[in-house]
Amino acid sequence: MKQTVTFTNEQIAAYAAASGDLNPIHLDDDFARSVGLPGRIAHGMLLMGIAGTVAARAAGGGARLTRLQCRFAGMVVPGDAVTFAAEPAEAGRLDVSAANQRGEPVLTKSAAEYR
Amino acid sequence: MTNAGEAGASAGVAGREYPAVAFVIDADRVAAFARAIGTDLADGVPPTFAAVYSLGATAPQLFGDEDAAVDFARLLHAEQEFEWKRHPKIGETVSSRGRVASDISRRGMRFVSFETETTGVGGDEVCRSRALFVIRA
Repeated sequence: MKQTVTFTNEQIAAYAAASGDLNPIHLDDDFARSVGLPGRIAHGMLLMGIAGTVAARAAGGGARLTRLQCRFAGMVVPGDAVTFAAEPAEAGRLDVSAANQRGEPVLTKSAAEYR
Repeated sequence: MTNAGEAGASAGVAGREYPAVAFVIDADRVAAFARAIGTDLADGVPPTFAAVYSLGATAPQLFGDEDAAVDFARLLHAEQEFEWKRHPKIGETVSSRGRVASDISRRGMRFVSFETETTGVGGDEVCRSRALFVIRA
């Protein structure tokens, strides 16, 4: 199961509002640069949310997920096209990964379990 | 790096526990969250809504703790794990309790492992969250 998402300022802002994580590194380019980032970055938890959506589909529904683990290996900025994947591993387990349009890993050592 | 991080032999705030936080699984909030992560609400509360009811309900206690002295602007979320016994229902009230599992500073970086246990009204386990935060110098 794979899905590619192109990130926008609007999606990041929508996640900030829905999640309550209003850290300005996700909302304000100038602020993000002032703390050494390339500009505003997507929330790791937004990436995990989308990875969870893809994993839930691969597992036959979100209600079946019993575990999801993600390592945030690379930053995602607006305009990045990230391909999320959840592929069957052993029974009840999915290997989860994500990479950007340059093939650089965004999520590594990530996995889901389901029943 | 903060003074707390420079405290050398200090283990920071490892072992610190915060009071339980009640959270109502609100339909509008779940709908907005589901839209933001591109999932279908018909599938129930998205599993990763735990980012809100579990991690999100408790992490502000750590970030607002003066003794913990976490520089929020230099904080990166490095790893996250959720384990679910079940997924909460719309309208349900859950209770989440956070604790600092470890707090280690090395080479100018600070690594804080923050764990949250979420239970239902009857005390049954719903979700465990394990977050690893890295605070850059």
